[in-house]
Amino acid sequence: MAVLLAALGLPAMAAAQDKPPAVIAVPQLATPENVSTPAGDTGLIARYVADVIASDLRSTRELVPIGPENSRVYSYPESTAPSFSLWRKTGAKTLVTGFVQSRPDGRMTVACYLHDLAAGREIARKGFVVAPAEWRRAAHRCSDAVYERLAGRPGWFDTRIAYVAESGGGAGRVKRIAVMDSDGTAHRYVTAGDSTVLTPRLAPGGETIAYVSFAGGQPHIRLADAEGGQDRPLLPGTAMSFAPSFSADGKRILFSMAMDGNTDVYVADADGGALQRLTSTPGVDTAPSFSPDGSRIVFESDRSGSQQLYVMNADGSEPRRISFGGSAYASPKWSPDGEWVAFTRIAGGTLGIGVMSPAGTGERVVTTGAHDERPSWSAGGRDLLFQRSEGGRTGLYAVSVDGGAPRRIVTPQDGSDPDWSTPGS
Amino acid sequence: MRRTILMVLALLALGGAPLAAAQVMRGPPPGLLPPPVTIDMLQSDLVAKTGSDTVYFAGNGHGINAAGQATLSAQARWLLANPAVRARIEGHADDRTPRDYALAVGERRADAVRDFLVLQGVPAAQLTIISWGKERPAVGGSSEMALALNRRARTVLMP
Repeated sequence: MAVLLAALGLPAMAAAQDKPPAVIAVPQLATPENVSTPAGDTGLIARYVADVIASDLRSTRELVPIGPENSRVYSYPESTAPSFSLWRKTGAKTLVTGFVQSRPDGRMTVACYLHDLAAGREIARKGFVVAPAEWRRAAHRCSDAVYERLAGRPGWFDTRIAYVAESGGGAGRVKRIAVMDSDGTAHRYVTAGDSTVLTPRLAPGGETIAYVSFAGGQPHIRLADAEGGQDRPLLPGTAMSFAPSFSADGKRILFSMAMDGNTDVYVADADGGALQRLTSTPGVDTAPSFSPDGSRIVFESDRSGSQQLYVMNADGSEPRRISFGGSAYASPKWSPDGEWVAFTRIAGGTLGIGVMSPAGTGERVVTTGAHDERPSWSAGGRDLLFQRSEGGRTGLYAVSVDGGAPRRIVTPQDGSDPDWSTPGS
Repeated sequence: MRRTILMVLALLALGGAPLAAAQVMRGPPPGLLPPPVTIDMLQSDLVAKTGSDTVYFAGNGHGINAAGQATLSAQARWLLANPAVRARIEGHADDRTPRDYALAVGERRADAVRDFLVLQGVPAAQLTIISWGKERPAVGGSSEMALALNRRARTVLMP
């Protein structure tokens, strides 16, 4: 699964104006002493960490890693003082070194250093003290540090994907919230499957999941700890609430409540307080999504008769329709860079994925499956995750927003309603 | 499957008309109890007496057509004759409806049915509504016929 998921971030057909990617050497990390840990020997973990960093960086537009396969193995002292002239011969512009060291308290230190080979100096460093089993997370955060220093934008490798895992058929269909790291590892189920659950949305960093549960009968939004444990309703009472979506800072939740045949958009603090109604037209207003700066909201409404996309200010003022393509539009999601809105387009009895600007211009079809719905932006902002239904099965797919063939994301069971977290602070 | 025994409700429902409380309390002699009546039997009785427990909708709409109105009028009479039986109206949307919107459409359909029944005199307190969105299709597949059969609201009697 890890290998297949790594394909998620394959470099897109890069736009012509992009700079060519820079070569970065990612040899195996060093270890001062090979010590056995519950997650394996530190020497082995040093190799795994480099594998993960290389895999992460390979998924970017800006960098092409070489190694750790067939790469020179260096000693522990060289992790902070590499032989620049030797590494320059590989053709790489930059080099990532580091070490994995066991600590007396049972944890271990994972350190990484980024070097500019032409200048012959270190340009970034990062260190983490983690439980041995957490080495992968430390590796992703090394990748984040390297990417941020070289690309000038925060990395997104320490992020998660949530989705609904589906099994069984007909009335016995079991749905569970599942979450995994964005490289497909650390897959786990968050809900037990005793109630139907829908539409998970991850808070930034992926620690908290808002989702819809039918527990107790009425569909309502609940908040769960992604590691298990805490699970509570967002709101008191028995109102029907659904379509949750976090603000980029994770402090607020947009959602819908339905009452007496009318569905409106609401906002509340992530603890359920400060509830405020944002729309009041008759008809259905749902699927709200914040702009990354939190100043505006895109949502779906059938106030004009068919489902269309609207943008309003964060206080609900000045709603304005943005979709005019002659189709019906649903489930809009604002991109992390603020430039695009992805949506489900309903035309001619089929559902497909598309994007347009938040002003409604530049509408583009991204997929033309028979039934593709619910796009969610990858944390890097280049790919769209969505759900495709085909021949009675439903699965998760990713497609570059620039186009190309959708790629299947392998999950242990059927999957729907994918969501990719943005990085935590 | 719930199999709650509802002796009193059973007598009310199967007797066709409400019985006096005294008759109910007198009951049959010990050892000759009638078979326990389950909520499923009541549901069957509702279907038998009213034609159907389900009404269907077009497109994303929630308008109730003539056939649906006839069904619901009969359901209203049944519910009025059995005031101790509560009903939950469950609204559904078809699979071609995006998930969030499907929840809203299901609620709107359930609400339209509740409004109709209340206008026929059924006490609002006897009725609750929920939406299943597109989570409980009656018919699998995505043929036009399957989609049409899944755009529905069902009156489900509650123990």
